[in-house]
Amino acid sequence: MIKRIWKLRSTRKFFSNRLAVMALLIVAGYLAIALGTSVFGLVDLDATFARVGPKNVSGFFRVQEPEKQVEDVEYIFNRVDSALRRRDPKQALAEIQFGPQRLIDASPEEIKAIVERGWSYFDQLAESDDLNQDRAALPVIEQLKQTEQSLFAPLTSGQRWEQRINLVLGTDAQGRSIALRAIYSIEVAIKIGLVVAFFSVLIGSLLGTAAGFYGGWVDHAVTWAFTTFSSIPSLVLLVLLAYMFTGSTFEGTLFPMYIAFSATYWIGPCRVIRGETLKLRELEYVQAATALGYSRPYIVVRHILPNASHLMLINFSLLFIAAIKGEVILTYLGLGIKNGTSWGIMIEQSRPEVINGFFWQIGTATVLMFGLVLAFNILSDALQDAFDPKHV
Amino acid sequence: MWAYVFRKLIYNVPVYLTIVLLVMAALRVHDPVYSYLGKNAKPEDIVKYRELVGLDQPFLVQYTRFLTTFDLGTESWDQRGRTVGEILRTSVGPSLAITVPALLLTTLISICVGIISSYYRGRLVDRTLVVMAVLGMSVSFLVYIILGQYFGAYVLNRSLGRELFAIEGYEPGLANWTHYCLLPVLISVIVGMGYDTRYYRAVMVEESQRDYIVTALAKGASKRKVMFVHMLKNAMIPIVTRVAISLPFLIMGSILLESFFGIPGMGRTLIAAVRVKDFPVVQAFTAIFALVYIFTIILTDVLYALFDPRVRLS
Repeated sequence: MIKRIWKLRSTRKFFSNRLAVMALLIVAGYLAIALGTSVFGLVDLDATFARVGPKNVSGFFRVQEPEKQVEDVEYIFNRVDSALRRRDPKQALAEIQFGPQRLIDASPEEIKAIVERGWSYFDQLAESDDLNQDRAALPVIEQLKQTEQSLFAPLTSGQRWEQRINLVLGTDAQGRSIALRAIYSIEVAIKIGLVVAFFSVLIGSLLGTAAGFYGGWVDHAVTWAFTTFSSIPSLVLLVLLAYMFTGSTFEGTLFPMYIAFSATYWIGPCRVIRGETLKLRELEYVQAATALGYSRPYIVVRHILPNASHLMLINFSLLFIAAIKGEVILTYLGLGIKNGTSWGIMIEQSRPEVINGFFWQIGTATVLMFGLVLAFNILSDALQDAFDPKHV
Repeated sequence: MWAYVFRKLIYNVPVYLTIVLLVMAALRVHDPVYSYLGKNAKPEDIVKYRELVGLDQPFLVQYTRFLTTFDLGTESWDQRGRTVGEILRTSVGPSLAITVPALLLTTLISICVGIISSYYRGRLVDRTLVVMAVLGMSVSFLVYIILGQYFGAYVLNRSLGRELFAIEGYEPGLANWTHYCLLPVLISVIVGMGYDTRYYRAVMVEESQRDYIVTALAKGASKRKVMFVHMLKNAMIPIVTRVAISLPFLIMGSILLESFFGIPGMGRTLIAAVRVKDFPVVQAFTAIFALVYIFTIILTDVLYALFDPRVRLS
């Protein structure tokens, strides 16, 4: 079977397209990461919610503006201060954690002394009008940062790498690691893409072949069904279907999205495959099979489906893209995933950051999404060129 | 011709009846009153709301009532004192102010770019345009909007020192149009161009290989004349199809653009209603969106028949 597919001229044509092979490798890379996070627990969901540092830290360890540096240190001191004011300061201090970073193992009084020293530097800095321009403030900021460092226990080299990975692409408005969130989102996107594309193509090709091959009332029913469904603008249908699940236990999970997308996207493959089946039905080899007395289900499985399989493949690839892009839009409209991690959530949450000139979150999500979608776009084009060259 | 139009209209009546049935059924899967009022609703409130929208009556009665009136006279649950009809009337204008210019501009520019691309087929210009189209298609609509708003409104206004494009908001009137609507329209055009250019290029390339083109060239018509007179006319059918296909995307795009730029159009109203679970508005608006869409489909079929009389006979 595999050997036969390999020997097809179209398969050869597809693999001689260097761009297509590259796209295939990129998709394989994404799949590997998704597999890594879902099966081997490379990144778990809780890690994407954990605070790893101050808010909106820039990526690639870029040195920040002095004012932002002071702000970040202030955040940490405030956090420690509020822990000291708790009824059980020892316990509260032990709970402070930024990624692998923890406070030094010292009594609350000692930590309090360090914080007090830090605040005294802040008093000095308060005299400066504009920290970004004031050169005299730089040594004070340096001392301030050293004081901050002395609060934290030294890291082992493994932990240092862990924190480096956490911060490599910066942090979002809640101090969560953008890198971890973006990587975890790959799994979500692949899940949505695979499930939606698979079920849409499955439903579409079953109904399409049935309609095309059996004709009669089956054809009428299927045609009427997809005319009806395609007469609702797809986003309105998506919104309607997602609305159906509000208030149910599934609200905010991936499940309503699977249903909404599959119920919307089966129309495309169904229409195409019905047309192809109508054409195939009249061909000599199908006529011959009928004359030889083979049963109709056998002819469908043996002759019709394999000869329409290239259309399934192309549609799968197209719907994969549609589902990933649709997730972002539904999430923005508040009908998608809630309390989770996905590119849609990242892009949606980056809106206020962009206004403040912070592009790391939107950039990361966009670049990763761009890679996957572009690879699939190239793949669909190459598949179409190789297997269905007449199509416009 | 009129017989054809009539036939199309009749054919779409049962389709629309099913759509309304589907919409109404989907909205009743979860009790709309319960999801609007929440868990701690008073029983008398539930009864009151139920009677307001006629949920206490049998489904068939609700169905016929909805089909005859579209519930336009019902009061919105969220916006007190306004009926669904009033909300609809005020939101149509802003929606059209975005969708119509966006559709026209996108189609015109994309056809031109498509023609240019097919004219230089295989050469550097063509390849660059194709690559740009694929790259442009691979970025999420939302990213275009966020960055478009940031660079087109925030950054531009800051560097100009005055407000050229509004960050959000809407005021009716032609004089205000560039201020409020031009930026969303431009974003929509840029997003749509990637898809449309590729398609029109493919259409033009296929059309340019037909026999009549060879004939025209052999008879001595200039290449430019062949492109714009002979080819464009014959490419009208795929172009009309494309415009019709892009209509739902346009509605979708307008939903996003409207809710992002705070333009009180139909899309934004629908999404806002879904968020607060304003049942009468959601029901009426989805049904109306579908109605508008069906009419555009009929219009496409009629235009087909106009451009290619053979369609009418089949």
